[in-house]
Amino acid sequence: MTASNSRPLESVASRPALHRDALRTALSDRAPFLVACAMALVLIAIYGSLREGVFTLEEINLDTAAAMTLILAATGQTIVLLRGGIDLSIGGVISFGTVLAATKFGDDPARTALWSVLIGLIGFGVGAINGLLITVLKLQPFLVTLATWSIVSGAALLVLPTDGGSLPSTWMAFGTASILGLSTSVWLLVLLCGFWLWFRRTRLGISIRATGSNERSVLLSGVSPLSINVATFGLSGLFAALAALYLTTQTGAGSPTIGKDYILPSVAAAVIGGISLFGGRGGLIGTIIGAFILTIIGNLVFVLSVSSYWQPIVSGVILLVSVLASSIAETSARRSLS
Amino acid sequence: MPNIQRHRAILLAYLGMIVLLLLTSLVSPGFLAAAHLRSTAVLAAFIGIVALGQTFVIIGGGIDLSVPWVLNAAAVLVTMIARGQNEPLLWAVPLILAAGALVGTVNGLGIAVFGVPPIIMTLAVNVILQGGILVYTGGAPTASAPPAIQFLAVGRIGPLPVVLGIWIVLAVAASILLSKTAFGRYLYAVGTSRTVAEFSGVPTLRTTVLAFTLSGFSAALAGILLTGYSAQAYLGMGDPYLFTSIAAVAIGGASILGGSGHYIGTVAGALVLTILTGLLPALNLSNGALLIVYGAVILVTVSLASETMSDILSILRRPVRSGAGKVRGGEPT
Repeated sequence: MTASNSRPLESVASRPALHRDALRTALSDRAPFLVACAMALVLIAIYGSLREGVFTLEEINLDTAAAMTLILAATGQTIVLLRGGIDLSIGGVISFGTVLAATKFGDDPARTALWSVLIGLIGFGVGAINGLLITVLKLQPFLVTLATWSIVSGAALLVLPTDGGSLPSTWMAFGTASILGLSTSVWLLVLLCGFWLWFRRTRLGISIRATGSNERSVLLSGVSPLSINVATFGLSGLFAALAALYLTTQTGAGSPTIGKDYILPSVAAAVIGGISLFGGRGGLIGTIIGAFILTIIGNLVFVLSVSSYWQPIVSGVILLVSVLASSIAETSARRSLS
Repeated sequence: MPNIQRHRAILLAYLGMIVLLLLTSLVSPGFLAAAHLRSTAVLAAFIGIVALGQTFVIIGGGIDLSVPWVLNAAAVLVTMIARGQNEPLLWAVPLILAAGALVGTVNGLGIAVFGVPPIIMTLAVNVILQGGILVYTGGAPTASAPPAIQFLAVGRIGPLPVVLGIWIVLAVAASILLSKTAFGRYLYAVGTSRTVAEFSGVPTLRTTVLAFTLSGFSAALAGILLTGYSAQAYLGMGDPYLFTSIAAVAIGGASILGGSGHYIGTVAGALVLTILTGLLPALNLSNGALLIVYGAVILVTVSLASETMSDILSILRRPVRSGAGKVRGGEPT
């Protein structure tokens, strides 16, 4: 209390000190993001030194295509993490989306379009149900989405018990198409960044982040918790469905179990990119960098021709380093405030 | 009142278990036969042992995602060290259990000292262990389990399966730890509010670290025992136990936020999950249907135990003192 009381006086007396404080706060706020950028640069440098042709358009196209499913899944996860929750059900939605696409698309373009929209709606619907249960029954996101993950995964297994099915060749061609030398995935990434720059300034985007940093004050300001939660988790489900649709353009098949491979990596990508698990902190650009870091680790392991089993070890260490960086930054920020 | 409120969730879990048992016996007569009940209990014991550590961690307000590969690492190590012989077990088993506990300690230290969120700390440790074991084994399955461990997992002393005996001893020990010791009281306090616990003089760091240490220990123990059940260790054998250990704790009435729940509830949770697994083949239902039922059961139990539901119930029952349903935290007596 005394510190905040003396602030106005101090600001008149010693302006430069305050500026330094503001700078330090801004830096420590972005420290996790900056650490992610530094790690990404180091990894790219190592990768570039080990292999020729890393800094070409072709390599960018390939890497973006490899990272895109994770990026889409992690986009939804980022929105939920900013709200201060977690969404495990995206694993179910991704599996369900791929099996529906692989069994329902057929060869008719109109049918494909209809089912694409339906898969998106189903994803949003699953998320909306999560948001509804979390708000109305005051349940924890972890448990609710654990349950819906199980349920939707079960539904995926009922539609297609094993990996298989097929997708129209035009659908697969869309995934590998190239416009102006850049692949569909790069254009999708540009689109996604555009979406984010718009979304974070919208009323909903601001409310989600604000709820994550201080739930009570946002609710007191009259924002409905139900609509925030339904929108947050609904968007997460929608992005998981988009991840599923994108994934099918790459794999050309459906898999009732593939979704679980994206649940925890989506959280990891967000955390590496500087999203705080306590809500309110970070942004999608960090998550995208986090997803690329995880993808480049895979490339590095391949280039170094060591066992691919090293990939999880390196990913785990990187995850720990970035989360330690952010927790040290948060502690120092708290110390400088008090 | 607060005690009834807290125990309601646990009672509910047992009630659900009995209803399930009766339902199952209707669908498949012979389910209640001693032999079948025994095999159900043995399967539940493995979930129950993994979920023991998970219960402590969740009561303390954390979560342990490193369970699958601690379990898997212990299983792989015990078979590779013993190579089918009983003699090396004398030193290998204590060493592996200690190593599992050590992994838990590392988790706890990362969380309590460095402030890393439990989900991230244990997730990172899990993938690092996974990679380590994959590199170590080269992805190939390992030798068969020594006879002594097979005896522990599938053997019987009189009518009692050995692993069930181990589970009962552990359950009693865990219940005493939670209800009768200072550590138990501290754990509920830390899970309810770390800040309040800290200011009340609770050794929060030691409590959190110990809870994770227990979880590492119990996952390693389950891993060793499971090699005896399947006669060998294989890669990925721990994966199902992440979901089932958390589900057992949740169905057993603990709040994922910490500060409530008891191992007695988790025991019922483990049994419910196992009975369900046995029920569905009897109904000719597929694996997909099993997952749907698992999810529905988790949703229903956590909804019934939720604060909103207890508020509704307390309004219906018109309690002596209003607001009694909202009392949370503390230690059950």
